[in-house]
Amino acid sequence: MSVQRRFTKFLGLAAVGALTVGLAACSSSGGSGDNADAGDLTTVGFVAVGPEGAWREANEKNIQETFTEDAGFELKYAPATNLDQKSQIDAFTSFVDEGVDVILLSATEASGWEDSLARAQEAEIPVILLDRGIDPDDPSLYITRIAPDNVEVASAVGDWAVEQFPDGGNYITLEGPAGVGVVNERNEGWDSAVDGSDLVEVAAQTANWSAEEGKSVTETLLKANNNNIQLIFAQNDEMGLGAAQAVEEAGLTPGVDVKIATIDGTLAAMEALADGQLSFVHEYNPLFGETALDVVNKTLAGESVESYIIVPSEAFDSAEAAQAVLADRQY
Amino acid sequence: MSNAARTNWLRELIRKPFFWGVIAIFALLALNVLKDPNYLAITVNPVNGNLVGNVIDILRASAPILMIAVGMSLVIATGGIDLSVGSVMAVSGAVAMVFMKDAGQSGSVGVALGAIGLALLVSALLGAINGVLVAYIGLQPFISTLIMMLAGRGIAKVITEGQNTSATNDPFRWIANGFVIGLPVVFLLAIAIVIVVGLVVRRSALGLMIEAIGINPKASRMAGIKPSGLLLTVYILSAVLAGVAGIMSVGTVMTVDVSRTGYQMELDAILAVVIGGTSLAGGKFSIGGAVVGALLIATLDKTIVFLGISSSATPAFKAIVIVVLCLLQSDRVRSWFVQRRKPPQLRPESLPAKPKQEVAA
Repeated sequence: MSVQRRFTKFLGLAAVGALTVGLAACSSSGGSGDNADAGDLTTVGFVAVGPEGAWREANEKNIQETFTEDAGFELKYAPATNLDQKSQIDAFTSFVDEGVDVILLSATEASGWEDSLARAQEAEIPVILLDRGIDPDDPSLYITRIAPDNVEVASAVGDWAVEQFPDGGNYITLEGPAGVGVVNERNEGWDSAVDGSDLVEVAAQTANWSAEEGKSVTETLLKANNNNIQLIFAQNDEMGLGAAQAVEEAGLTPGVDVKIATIDGTLAAMEALADGQLSFVHEYNPLFGETALDVVNKTLAGESVESYIIVPSEAFDSAEAAQAVLADRQY
Repeated sequence: MSNAARTNWLRELIRKPFFWGVIAIFALLALNVLKDPNYLAITVNPVNGNLVGNVIDILRASAPILMIAVGMSLVIATGGIDLSVGSVMAVSGAVAMVFMKDAGQSGSVGVALGAIGLALLVSALLGAINGVLVAYIGLQPFISTLIMMLAGRGIAKVITEGQNTSATNDPFRWIANGFVIGLPVVFLLAIAIVIVVGLVVRRSALGLMIEAIGINPKASRMAGIKPSGLLLTVYILSAVLAGVAGIMSVGTVMTVDVSRTGYQMELDAILAVVIGGTSLAGGKFSIGGAVVGALLIATLDKTIVFLGISSSATPAFKAIVIVVLCLLQSDRVRSWFVQRRKPPQLRPESLPAKPKQEVAA
């Protein structure tokens, strides 16, 4: 009997817990400003990723600074709670119910967006994907996707790696969380460039975009391969910076014994490249607020835009190249 | 005679709830040795005399989990739960990093101590809020700490202005990455803290009182224990230990990642406690069990990377190991095997021999 009572109590607790989480998600989405009488301002709902790293921060700040009230927009910013897709879908749905004019979406996870997007389409709210794509990719569900091309960027890193190691070598890949669109695309680009070369992938592990895990994973992988690793491909800067510390602690010299290539091009990574800790950094340009603004205006004016707009990015392959841009790096 | 004594000793050992946790650690290590016979080898770094090896890495990785698991086991013993430890880790790390970034002076011990002190103070404050909500307001621990879990990460974001913040400070870095007499500082520190907490709660009546609250708060009050003050203390202790874990965690890379530092660590802590044999119903705890649990989780995490299990299969692998472990711990499941083994009942000596073989394996 008491067991049963305890069980019902626990069920109640769990229900209340779920409710609290749900409420928190709601409040974070609707909190940014509830003045319905925004006059002739265009309301833009931004379903964002939230704190994830320097790159994301630069990107979302750039968007926020572009869609200002002076430019004629009211931006409702809804970052995900701890990168949780559920909280993004909730925010997205409440934007549709609210009837915003445009929705900007940076999805934390690629799959599972069909229903939400179809709902927005029914409500005739145009959706523009920023950075992250969706899977399966159905361009009829959204207006356009604005992003630097992950496949292209990763294959540029791959080309550099093949050129650096003409005689081949062992490498490890530090990936983002499994199932994220970016990870799949960066793998695809890298694989397409490295295929057919003498480089051997000895391990690929997720380090969840984090420096701490990047260090911990690299430390173990170096030991698992008796330090016989010449190249580390980190799919973002943070993991690469963590890996560099692990390489140093293993008694190897980053840049000499182990070359580390990363994608993103944040300030910290540029400093590390200038220092020789990293060997190759490919920028993944986060500053495309202007492009997004242009697309939003065109869409609202009824003009058609291309279904995929690629933002150009630069590659940095030497300390000097990094040094040159260090002074006016914005992120 | 001595044989019988040994039998009893062995039986006693097997009955210890964390026995299977220890077995699981050895099984995982054995799995790694199968992949690489040199897995357990520990070498001395010729440059600085530090010990280097996979086992050392495991010890280092286990330190933050040890901290939160010990705190969690005390909270669970009172019949509560602390879901906020992961977020408190992030807050503590954020406070320390922002303080050191603003203070500069990368070599200063004073700045490092200031950062640690401030981080622990803020952690204690968060723990006190938990404790007051539970002990004096009478909210369910699940709810109060859930609120703190959500709010904590928000607080960390406010402190760092939403950015991942890095700082340089050599003494602080030393805590997480340094070595003393060849062993990692972070592990020695964690074990020292565990021993102090263990002695305080077990050598005094504190532990018994904490368990009494978990068994029956009303009866314990009538027996002259003041549950409110004790509950408050336990929640503050849990948060301070989480603060220490946060310092260890951000110290490894000298960066606080507001959305990742301590992320889901509360689950690791609860898991460690359960593996250690503490019942979630409250009323008893085992510090030794929590230590075994924490070591097992660190070993499991490192094993997954070492064996090269693909990222997508990682959660499944972890789940399988833990489910098997829980099944082994379950009295009911074990009794099935005992019953099946009993009927022959020819030589009582053969019984202890069997588990011994398992130990060796």
